[in-house]
Parts: sequence; structure tokens; C-alpha cells
Amino acid sequence: MLRKQRDVLSVEWIKLELIRTAYATRGGMFSRRDPRAVLVWYLIMAFVPWFTHNVTVLAVLFVIAAIGVFLARVGPLVLGLFIIGIGFEIFYLILVSLMFGGNLGTLAALGVVNLKLGIISMASMAAFVSLDPEKLSDALLAFKMPELFAFGVSYGYRMLPIMVEEFNTVFDGFRLRMAPPEKRGFLGWRTVVHWAKMAILSFYPIFLNTAKNVRTTVEALETRGFTYATVDGRGRSIRLGQMRMGTVDWLLLVVTVALVVGAFAAGQAWPLYR
Amino acid sequence: MTNDYQRAGSLRTSGSGAPELRTPQKLMVFVLSMALFGLANIILEIIPDVTIGPVDISVAYFVFVPLAMVALFSPFWAALGAPLGEIVFVDLLMGDFSGLSEVEGYLQMFLALYIAGSLIRNPRSRTQIWLGAILVVVIDKFLSAIVDLAKVWLALEDPEYVEGLPESILFLEGIGFGVDIVMSGILFGAIPAMWLIPALHGKIEPLLGMRPRVPGEPIPGQAPRTGWFVAVAVLLSIAAAFFAFIEAWDLNVGEWEPDFLDQFGMNFLWVSVGAIVVVLGLAYLAYRAGRKRDGESQARLQAEADEAVALAERERREESIHS
Repeated sequence: MLRKQRDVLSVEWIKLELIRTAYATRGGMFSRRDPRAVLVWYLIMAFVPWFTHNVTVLAVLFVIAAIGVFLARVGPLVLGLFIIGIGFEIFYLILVSLMFGGNLGTLAALGVVNLKLGIISMASMAAFVSLDPEKLSDALLAFKMPELFAFGVSYGYRMLPIMVEEFNTVFDGFRLRMAPPEKRGFLGWRTVVHWAKMAILSFYPIFLNTAKNVRTTVEALETRGFTYATVDGRGRSIRLGQMRMGTVDWLLLVVTVALVVGAFAAGQAWPLYR
Repeated sequence: MTNDYQRAGSLRTSGSGAPELRTPQKLMVFVLSMALFGLANIILEIIPDVTIGPVDISVAYFVFVPLAMVALFSPFWAALGAPLGEIVFVDLLMGDFSGLSEVEGYLQMFLALYIAGSLIRNPRSRTQIWLGAILVVVIDKFLSAIVDLAKVWLALEDPEYVEGLPESILFLEGIGFGVDIVMSGILFGAIPAMWLIPALHGKIEPLLGMRPRVPGEPIPGQAPRTGWFVAVAVLLSIAAAFFAFIEAWDLNVGEWEPDFLDQFGMNFLWVSVGAIVVVLGLAYLAYRAGRKRDGESQARLQAEADEAVALAERERREESIHS
């Protein structure tokens, strides 16, 4: 899919990007896999980095996670936020530790910690960008998570774009009705206060609207037997019946485990601590 | 804004039975709280953070949104939903999911909101709303500050420690705590909540088919099986603290010598992991025990479900004969 709005950084673009992320319409390798395999892949990548301090191992894991991000076709918004976030984190920590008389040793140590966090963030980007709400909640159910949690995840993914849209409309309504402050004040603080006030005021109608939406949703769920389905195991098995672990899914997990073991072997061969 | 029109609320509520919530109502409160706090967090993501030097003058979260939920509805279910909204909407969607520390954050936020919501007995009392808003930020941020400070304290034991880092972390924690209380607790917590909660009280509850909370009456939908619930919560917080310590220890070990790591380091890690497993196991057992005590209502639900399934199956059989 071509993204023509890429050069325009606006709220509208962010919204579109969120919808694309939420519905996993980008394609990519992970979106065709069984959701359980993707979750297990994520868990491996999220837990393994905590069990080592060997920079060689971490570097190899970082490369594996980066390949995952590439295969999952993570979008520019999410990736950009990640890079900016990790960059600023390192920058400020350097600044602060230099201010209080630290040295290059501090930097190296912080670099290792950020490498770990980077691996985990990239793994989560790759995994969750590729799972649409339906698949994610099915996978969570398959792992015996509470029904309420699985439902919350899929509801959240679906409703988010609608709710952002609704908030935007209400906010624009307040902008039309309220006069902006006459003087901007020092550093435009009056404008900032005005915007904050409008954002807070917008929550009153949003609370009431969302309450109505939620009631409709829950009533629709109850009509279809949501509570009963949590009591009776058969509902769950019907819902999970369509999931299949294919050859490629198993292959993904085997290759990942092999790569992780390989990373630790490389760490044994060329250990590098800092 | 004053709001003295109370008739609609009080007429409907007087003497309408036990303050117990039914399952769909719990679901509604949970989902509403999740959706609203998630939306508030997304809006915060769009607003850029102001940073003056190393000090971050930003709003951590819109406290007034979950505070309104726990003040108006059952604190337990609202507090359970709100932090999940943050994880689902912001952390998962934005690829910011940080694994272990999310568990810690969830429990901190849940405890903070639950305590604040139980404290507010009268949703129209401004004093209680102020107390609640500041309490949420204090409990949430204080728990994470303790973890960070413990990390620094552990590190100070070691003379080889790189100079400058402990002081800077202490300094930043202190400043950050103060800024959070002012920005998140008061400017975007107490002041908006002081207006929003009384404005919504008595208006939003009927939309969900519930009676408003009235001072002096027991809060509807308290935590189920209080004793067991407290046990599970305490055990989970201990586990979360260990999660946090693994991370904290991680920052320190980067500073230590490799031979120290060989002698002592990995053992410490495995002890922590073992502790987490044991504590989680205990929490699970306590949860199961709590569920068993709840067996009666479970059996009733099961019977109703069986009946409904039998009905549906009979209808389907009859349909196939007709067609």
C-alpha cells in the first residue's frame, strides 16, 4: 500500500496510522502467522534479554529483533516514535550524568541498558503491529487469559480510532464556540491554558457518549451470550477452533530459538562485558 | 458550575435493593473506564512534552478521568479497567510495551485508583476529590520512586560505583515527584475533577442502568471475597516489586566487575526469578481458593448457562425438522 500522506505530520495522519496499526493492514510476515506463534515469539524476545549482561549476546538479539521489525513492516509513525524516544532517553541520561561528574563508564553502562530496552520494544512493535484485535484476543484466550482481558484488548483496538475521531469533533466544537484569549501572554501561556481548558471540557460530552456506546456494546454482547460463554467451556472451544499451527509457524519458533541459542553460543565464544 | 438538581438521582435510588452489581454492569464499568483512560492517554501522546533541561515538565496522565470513574462507579472494577486501557491503547498500539515493568505499572495504578476511589465516600465533596486526586499521584509515583531509590541505595554500597549517577538519580527523582504532584495531581487532577465529578454525578449512572453512589450507603460492587482479594493483591505487588528489582539490579550490574558477576551475580538473579515464581504460585492458589468459596454463585451461573444452551439446541433441532 502506498502512503502518500507520509510527508504531512498532522493529527489526521497519526489517526490514519493508528488505524493501520490497529488493523494490521500493512501485511508482513508475522500477520500471516498463527497468533499463538507470534505471541510466543514475542515472549521469547521479551524475556531472554534479562538473563544476560554479555554485550555480544545483546547485540545479536538486537539484530534478531531488528529483522523482526523489518519483516513485520512496522510503520513510520511507530518506528519514528521509538527512535526519537530511545535517542532522547540516552541524550538526557548522558547530559545529567556529565552534569554531576560522571564519565564515559556511565555512558557505556547506560548504553547496555538501552540496548536491552531497545530489543524488547522492537519485539513488541513487530508482534503487536502484526496482530489484529480479533487474532490477539483469540491468542490471549488460547493462553487462558481472563475473558474480560481478551475482550478489553479487542474492544480497545476497535474503538480507539472512533473515539479519537469523536474527541476531535467535540474539541472542534469547543474551538468554534469559545473565543481565543485576546492576548497571548508570556510564552503564549494564555493560549496554552485555553487549549488545556478546552481539552478538559471536551471530556464531559465524551464521558456521556462513551457511556452510551459501552452500554450498547455490552447489551449486544449479552444478547449473544457473553457471560454464559465464559461459564461454559464449549463457547471458548468453538471460538478457538479455527486456529491452526502450520509448518511455517513451528519453523518460526524453531528458527528463533536456534538463533537465540546461537546468540548465547557467540557470547560464550567472544564474551564482552562492560 | 453549581449543580443542585438532585431529584432525578435520589428518586430512582431510594430503597431499590441490594447494592450488588450484576456481571454485565461490572463489564460496563470496566470497559468504560478502560476506554476513557485509554483515550486520555492517546491525547496526551499527541501533546508534546515540555522539557526544561533534564527536568521533564510534562503531564504523566489525566488523573481526573480515572478518578471520575472510581468516584462515580464501583472503585474495584473501574480501577481494574483504567490501567488496562493505558496498556492496550498506548503501549501495545504505539509499540511501547515494556514487558515486565508493565505488570508493575498496572498494579501500582490499580492500587492507587482503588484506594482513592474507596476513600471518596461523597462524589460531591470537593475536599474528598482533592484528597483522592493527590493520593492517586502520590501512591503511584511514590511506589515507583521507592523502587528507584532502592536501586540507588543498593548501588551506594559499592565504592567502585561510577560517580555522579546516584546523586543525579536522587535529584531527578525528587524534582520529578514534585512536578508530578503539581502537574498531574493538581492541574490535571484535582482542579478538573472538582468540576467534572459533581457534573457527572447522577447523570452518567442512569445511562449505564445503575444507581448513583450516595454518601452513607455502602459502595456498590466492592471487591469480591475481600480477604482473598487482599491476599492476591499483596502477593502480586510483592511479585511486581521483584520484577522491578530485576530491572533495577540490571542497571547496577552494568557497573560492577565481571568477576563479581561470575561469583554472585547470576545467583542473585535466579533467586529473584525463583521468588517471583513462588509468589505468583501462591497468588494463583489464593485466587483459586477465593474462587472455590465463590462456588455457589458459579454453580447458579452454570445452571443458567446449561439451560440456555439446552434451549438453543432444542430450537435448532426443531428448526431443522421444519425446513
